[in-house]
Order: sequence, then structure tokens, then C-alpha cells
Amino acid sequence: MAGSLTVCRKELADVLGSKRYIVLFALIFLMSTMSAYQGAQFISNNTGSNFLAIFYGSQFGFSFTTLMVYFGPIIGLALGFDAINKERTSGSLSVTLCQPIYRDSIINGKILAATASLSLLVVSTIGIMCGVAVSILGFGPTLADVSKIGMYMLLTVIYLAFWLCLGILFSTVTKKISTSILMSVSVWIFCAMVISIVAGLLGNYLVPISMPSGPGIGRGNSTNPFNSPELRALFQQRNTLETNIRRISPSYLYNEAGSAILGLIGGGGFGGGGFIEIGGGANPFRAAGAGDLTQALAMVWPQIMALIVGMIVCFAASYMLFLRQEIRPGG
Amino acid sequence: MSKPIIQTQELTKNYKEVKALDHLDLTVFEGEIFGYLGPNGAGKTTTLLALMGLTVPTSGTATVGGYDIIKDSRKIRQIAGMLPEGAGFYEDLTARQNLNYICQLNDIPKLEMEKSIKELLDAVDLRNRADMKVEKFSRGMKQRLGIAEVLVKNPKIAFFDEPTIGLDPQGTKEIRDLLIRLNKEENLTIFLSSHLLYEVQQTCQRVGIIRAGKLIVADTIENLSNRIAGKDKVVIEFELSKVDADLIKDIEGIDGVISVDQNERKLYVHMREDKSGDVSQMIIKHGATILLMKPKERSLEDIFIEYYKEGA
Repeated sequence: MAGSLTVCRKELADVLGSKRYIVLFALIFLMSTMSAYQGAQFISNNTGSNFLAIFYGSQFGFSFTTLMVYFGPIIGLALGFDAINKERTSGSLSVTLCQPIYRDSIINGKILAATASLSLLVVSTIGIMCGVAVSILGFGPTLADVSKIGMYMLLTVIYLAFWLCLGILFSTVTKKISTSILMSVSVWIFCAMVISIVAGLLGNYLVPISMPSGPGIGRGNSTNPFNSPELRALFQQRNTLETNIRRISPSYLYNEAGSAILGLIGGGGFGGGGFIEIGGGANPFRAAGAGDLTQALAMVWPQIMALIVGMIVCFAASYMLFLRQEIRPGG
Repeated sequence: MSKPIIQTQELTKNYKEVKALDHLDLTVFEGEIFGYLGPNGAGKTTTLLALMGLTVPTSGTATVGGYDIIKDSRKIRQIAGMLPEGAGFYEDLTARQNLNYICQLNDIPKLEMEKSIKELLDAVDLRNRADMKVEKFSRGMKQRLGIAEVLVKNPKIAFFDEPTIGLDPQGTKEIRDLLIRLNKEENLTIFLSSHLLYEVQQTCQRVGIIRAGKLIVADTIENLSNRIAGKDKVVIEFELSKVDADLIKDIEGIDGVISVDQNERKLYVHMREDKSGDVSQMIIKHGATILLMKPKERSLEDIFIEYYKEGA
């Protein structure tokens, strides 16, 4: 454990001082502050919406939640994708391993340090957002809101840590940094974008819906065929299927869990069910901040657990691989 | 002779299909500089990794400084340092910060740390570059920093894997001198793996030659040389003002001379016993002048090639 802490301390200094982290931090910081401003505008325009709307309310296309859904993976992966293979290539790994520490101290220390940096990023960003919003709105979050914000922070850290562990797994599996970058980007594009297209196509294929046509449709007809129970059932079925396919993506799970915690009850996530459309905006009529935290947690507990399990699996896989790998210097 | 500090018994390591180490038996004694010779891929690096406990042998045992390489590998890394081949550093950190980190990993108390880092930077001649980022270092400077990282824990044994590869002659000499000095002053046992024969000959007291994972021979350079010499005990090199066929024929006729090799105006006379007096007289009788006369030394290269031929 002492070895882990030494590695962690050094890695933390490295990460916090790295250009990569500073650029990411500056970008996220800027966008978050803007989204807090937008969120505050949203609240002023929609009376009855709650303080938490600063995270999802948007006027010009994006909010903090969509930002995290789509760019969170990049933050996590960026801190992990070259953690191991960079040191392997440069030869510093073999020098470190020649010291009297256990091999797992290195990977533990690295993950610990990167997770701490991610937490710092999330906590400080959300803190600043609240500050900006309070100064615009003139009122702050209630105690219930604060607990929801805390939970949302934790969820976001878990989500980012999942991507971090995935990145570290890639950096353990591959010898070349270029390969692990490519893997990271592919997985990100798949989870953030492609999965929705796949879900749409599969839904279309597996649950075919023939649109009613012919004499049934027309003015003056007392029964609207679009409202027939059969058709509605089919749409419902397709919707459920698509949602389940989208749940393969951790981004979607995070989206669902996050919207429930922030009080956007009723699935579909931020952006009124349209997962793919960045900045779909939240439906003001649903954004009432209703429901309490325990209720929300009970609803999205499976999603949160899935993220945690995913993170642990990635960590364990890279841990095992790293311990078994031969350390040949220079390659 | 002093007591053994590294001992391996039947050490074997298989990578998928390759036998990197094949029942290796090796002994290194305390306080010596041991040269570990072999071409690329003979198993030198694997031996070092196994001795530092960084790779688990398929079978066999070994101890380093009395510790078992499997059970006590962490303790070995406390008393032994290694400069691996292609060693790298944290390029964003300065030399001092790199050394600091290594000290922390070794649990060296802070007070002691600052003092020994200062001394070491002096010893490896990096005191003026201590606060420069390693990315700006030349290859030789990095190599010297690597040596400092090995020594900072004040080890009993130091393993060096090709420490002078890719260095210019000046850098090579500096590192060689540093190693010899450390061995003398600190009684540091040095295990030097290299395929540069000249370097090993200049530095090491004893050498081991490894081929396809097996130790062919291990002894002092002098003993190895004598052992190869075998049948023709004495070889003397003469450099003459002129050489002709008659002279060679007459020298070959002298009792005790086995053969004469000619290389322009140099003659290498192989003899059963030292007959250089008779040979000199014969040369003078032929009207030639002796410009130089000396016993021929066998270089490590001859020894190496000879043993490789034998082993094949």
C-alpha cells in the first residue's frame, strides 16, 4: 500500500500538471459555466422549474448533462489510454519495477491518481456552476436539491471512472499508443452515436409497423387509426426494444440514471427521449424537479450498478493482465 | 575466493516456444565485476530479469544475496539495483525529481535522500544538469542518470544490461571508469551484461559466456585464454625489417617450433616451448633486423569465438 501511495502522489502531480488535463479542465470549465448561465436563464423563463434545471435546462443547444454524456468518455479515456503502454515504450516502467515495490502498486496508484483528478474536475465544475447560477437567480438549492447534486456528482465520477478504467485496459492490452487511441475513439463513437442508429435499425427490423392507409384515414372519420390500441402497443414494443439496445452503452445508462436523480422522471433521459440529439433541451413540463432522491435511486439502481460493475470489470481485467505480462524492456 | 552472492541452479525459462534459459547454473562472487557475454537473444536479459524477480522462471531456483528470487523478490530489489536495457525516465521531470521518486519508492528517509542524491549527481557528473528536464538530456547523460538511479538505494549488487550501448567512446570510457571505481571503493558487486567484448575485457575480472540459454563457461579471462591455448603453448610475434621464404622455412626447421604464420612483415611463431632465442639467432643469420618481439595475447574475441565454435 505504501508503494501505491508513492506512485499515486507522483502520478497525481503528473496528471494535474499535464497539458492534457489543463486543456480538458479549461474546456469543461468554460462549457459548464456557459451551461449554468443558460440553465439559469431557463429557470427564469420557466417559472416553477427547480434549481436543478441548471444542469439540464438549455436554450442554445447544450447543457451540462449532455456535455457529460457525450464528452465525459473523452475525459476519462484521455487520462487512461496511455497510462501503461507509454511507460512501457519509454522504458520507465522497467526502471520503476526494479524498485522494491509490488507490481500492482503501479496500476493501483495510477488509477487512484486519475480518479482523484476526475473527482476534482467534477466537484469543482459543479461547484462553480452552482455559484454562477445562484448569483444570477438570487436563490440557491434547497437541502433536497443539495443531496441530489451530491448524488449526481458521485454518479458522474463513477461514469468518468468507468471510462478511465476502460482506457487503462486498452493501454494494458496494446503495446502501441496509437492503437489504444484508436480503440478509445472507436468505442466512444460507438457508445455515444452509433448505438442509437443500431437501436433504430434493429427496432425497425424486428418490430415492423405498417402505417395504416386507405379509407380509414380521412377527415371526419370518428376513429383515428393512429390511435388504435394495436398500433400503440407496437410502438410501445419497439420503443422498449430500442431502449434496451441503447442500454448497452454506458452513456445511455448514465443518461437514464442522471435524469432520474435530477428529477426528470420517466426515462427517456435528458433531451426528451431523443438520446442522440445533443441539446434536445428538457421538456419544461416534465422538469418539475419532482420525486425524491430515494425514489429516483430505487428506479435507476440497476443502471448505477451496471456502471459500477463495468468499471470493476475493466479494472480487474487490466490488473490481471498487467500482473501477468512479461516486462521486456523497450517493448 | 570470497563467498558467492548470486547462485542459480538449473534455472529454466520458456517463452511459448523459445527456451530463453536452459538449466542455467551460474555463480557470481561478492565484490567482483562479472562480465556476462553472449550474442543477442542468448538469454542475457532474461537472466537479469529472473534474478531481479521480474519474471518467474519455469523451473529451477536461484538466490541473490541470500534471498530466493521467487519468494523474496521484493527484498532482492531492496539490496540490488538494475539498469535495464533501454531504461527510460519520466521525461517531464528533472534529473533530481526522477531520483527523488526512486528514493521514495525505496522508502529512503528524506534527510538521507537529499544528501545521497547530491553526492550521486556529483559522482555521475550531472551536478550542473540536476534541475534540467530529462527530455533535454543526451543519451550519455540519461545513461549516467540511470546509473545514479541504481546506486541511490546503496545496493550490494548492481546489474547493468548493456550500459554503454549507443554511447560515444568518451561516454563509454567514463561509464567504464565509474563502474570500476564503484567496485573498488564501495566493494559493489557488479554484474555486467554485454555483447561488447572489448568493454568486458577492460572492466571485468571474471566472465561467463552464455549461448542459447546455457552457460558454456565461466572463469577469469586469463584462465580462459590459457585453456584455449592448449596444444601450442607459446606464440610469439616478430616484426622484421624483411621476410623471405627461406627464413620461414629455416625457422620451421628449428626443433620445438610447430608452425609459422606470416602476415606481411610479421611472423607468428607457434612453439611447444619458448624457443625465441633460437628463432632470433636464425633471423639475424638471415640478415634481417627484429623491430618488435612480443608474446601474442589472446583477446577476449578469440576466446569467445573459440568457445562458440566448441559449443556448436
